[in-house]
Amino acid sequence: MRLRGETEPMRNLAELDLPHLPVEDAAFAADPVSFFRKAKESNPWIAGSNLGYWIHDYQAIKDLLSKDDKLRPAYDGIVQMLGAHGTPWGRFTEEQLISLPPEQHAMLRTTFAKKFTPRFANQLRPMMQETIKRMLDEWAPKGAFDFEEFASSFPITVMFTLVGAPVEEIEGIRKSLETLGLAFSMDPNRVPEIHAAYDRLEKLVQRIIAERRADPRRGDKADLLDLLIDTSEEGNVPERQLEDLVIFFFVAGYDTSKNVLTYTIRLLLDRPDLYERCAVDHDYCRKVLDEGLRLFNPGSVPRFTDEDIVYRDVLLPKDTMLWFTLNVSGRDELAFDDPDTFNPDREIDPAARPIPFSLGRHMCLGQHIARAQLQEALHQIAQRLRNPKLAGEYGWRPYPGAWGLKGLPITFTPAEAPADA
Amino acid sequence: MVSVRFVQANGDERTIDGEAGLTLMEAAQNNGVPGIVADCGGNCSCGTCRVFVAAEWFGKVGGPNELELEMLEMHADRRDGERLSCQVTLSDELDGLTVSLPRSQF
Ligand code: HEM
Repeated sequence: MRLRGETEPMRNLAELDLPHLPVEDAAFAADPVSFFRKAKESNPWIAGSNLGYWIHDYQAIKDLLSKDDKLRPAYDGIVQMLGAHGTPWGRFTEEQLISLPPEQHAMLRTTFAKKFTPRFANQLRPMMQETIKRMLDEWAPKGAFDFEEFASSFPITVMFTLVGAPVEEIEGIRKSLETLGLAFSMDPNRVPEIHAAYDRLEKLVQRIIAERRADPRRGDKADLLDLLIDTSEEGNVPERQLEDLVIFFFVAGYDTSKNVLTYTIRLLLDRPDLYERCAVDHDYCRKVLDEGLRLFNPGSVPRFTDEDIVYRDVLLPKDTMLWFTLNVSGRDELAFDDPDTFNPDREIDPAARPIPFSLGRHMCLGQHIARAQLQEALHQIAQRLRNPKLAGEYGWRPYPGAWGLKGLPITFTPAEAPADA
Repeated sequence: MVSVRFVQANGDERTIDGEAGLTLMEAAQNNGVPGIVADCGGNCSCGTCRVFVAAEWFGKVGGPNELELEMLEMHADRRDGERLSCQVTLSDELDGLTVSLPRSQF
């Protein structure tokens, strides 16, 4: 692939004098945007690190990440770096939907795609509204809490409801997901806890699938789990793949949604006018979330080059580990005007649209569910937690992922649910 | 080659020649037609390559498939003739096709 500058002499990646990013440092996680901007002064689109190369320019991410046939997901590379090959968590990470070879991936994704459409997500809205209302009934009277902790219970409760999992397990599984979410912080010291967390989640998923097979829900009572079981039977999907898929939905939907909701509230704490509008304008919540997702999202997408690629006159040899920084791509000064300003009413140029859910064949399958649940949550939160204020310090989760705020202490004035909510 | 006319929401027009066998989305992207976002690259997952087929072409192009129809529900401005261009395959039969684009794909 040769995308630019046909006449320039080509250089091998290894010959470039690239900036080196300390991605594993706490200081980096607290402000990656500044580090990437500084790196840009030496090279406009690629930087090095101990974990591989970082593609941090919006246009370069779009040009390269959309070339699905020239890249392959590098989750096996992460397992390797953590020395976890051959363990149950390692096996899962290497074989989950996203890591499957292209034909198998396409088959499985097509089989289940029907359950992740906007129509299906819209049908789930009443359940999402009911879930966030129940949570707010319990939490709002407190008048102060850690918003991240509150937010962390929401996507998992939605997921539990979707698959009819036993609510008494929510807290234990939430802790497991919290640990699993830190796997991509690439710290080998975390590996033993990652295994324990994975084991708990796998056992729960195996149990709920077995119980449901023995006692299926039919008609109106059927939920996502029945649908996934039926679809997997129709499509002859092996049991192990069905289990992996359900495990993956828990993992993929947890700290992504939680971190986005938490960061969006952080932005809104500085914009009470917009927060007020979210309480009364359901549609505006969608715009606020889109703009929030531009300024922040949790994802860095790991890929290996699957063949030699030449891009901007640089040879990226086959099997090079690349990280695509979706999480800061919306802050690119070349792609977005005034990129650090939170403005939900900004005009979006279709050619420079934020890409928090990635691009190409692995684009987030859960994006419509994620968008719906975040919109329903934000609308009700803004009605029930009035005049929120930041009430202390907050920190940052390790980079690359799942990246986001660590804690968000707030105080607010509790309000009752409106009669029609 | 299959000739297709794209009409933007602001009235701008562009006629391209696409190869039979490509999808309408691929032909549009290869020719730099603005407004066909296609984030998911043609996997019927993102709903951002929407077009409105001109009424006289409804019969030849046909209606959306089941998955496509469920995807189209993400949009507020639904209209007759709407299709995701990644789900329309160009054939000689479609030579001369006219489609218009929505104001926004999201
Ligand atoms: C705001 C919340 C979310 C964000 C920002 C997000 C982001 C992403 C990103 C960036 C990817 C691509 C990863 C890669 O290519 O390596 C992805 C994939 C995926 N996500 Fe999400 N996600 C979110 C919520 C969810 C939810 C709620 C679910 C499940 C209900 C989900 C299910 C999936 C699945 C199944 C894939 C893999 C798709 C494939 O490989 O074909 N995500 N997500």
